[in-house]
Amino acid sequence: MLLITRRVGEKIMVGDDIVVHVKEIVGNTVRVGIEAPRSTPIYREEIWNAVREENRAAADAPFTLPSPQPAA
Amino acid sequence: MSTVTIDSSRFGTLEIASENVIEFPTGLIGLTGNRYVLLDADGAFHWLHSIDDPTIALPVTNPWAFFADYEVELSDEASKPITAEPADVSVFVTVRAGAELSDFYANLRAPILVADGKGHQVINESENAPVRAPLFGAVAAAA
Repeated sequence: MLLITRRVGEKIMVGDDIVVHVKEIVGNTVRVGIEAPRSTPIYREEIWNAVREENRAAADAPFTLPSPQPAA
Repeated sequence: MSTVTIDSSRFGTLEIASENVIEFPTGLIGLTGNRYVLLDADGAFHWLHSIDDPTIALPVTNPWAFFADYEVELSDEASKPITAEPADVSVFVTVRAGAELSDFYANLRAPILVADGKGHQVINESENAPVRAPLFGAVAAAA
């Protein structure tokens, strides 16, 4: 992992197309702005992790699905 | 009519009409591949079957079949790739399927929006949208 220290207002380049701006620091919280091409989605890591887990669990479905009765 | 063939690990050889191919520009989170097709399953469910990886198929459902109050709220950034009119967008949620209905959970946090042959899995900023919402709970509440 590359560790970089930045001050508010400074930026980080990830490749040529992604810019990470350090916008604001308040106590334990940093506000970060990210510019990236549309082809590169950006997620909070814990959401990304949870969704990846659910997608993989969904893809592990049993061969046939029991027939549910949806709410009317 | 041009077709695409899938050697599905679950369903054998499938012939898919090209116009039914759904292109996911950024794929599904954590899964490889960009091309999928929707196949009918039982009643409320469809299979979202990968074309690029024939071993991948996810049960999906219309969230409003189980969650009447479901709302999708997207950040400005998240809505940018969705160019279609809201009325033309189909919404699906992935389903974690167990052996019984009581073991079924829908991911309300990351719905899949499909329109004009394109699909996007987006993050729903709405308050009551857990990643694992029991379907059984909704059915029981309606009974």
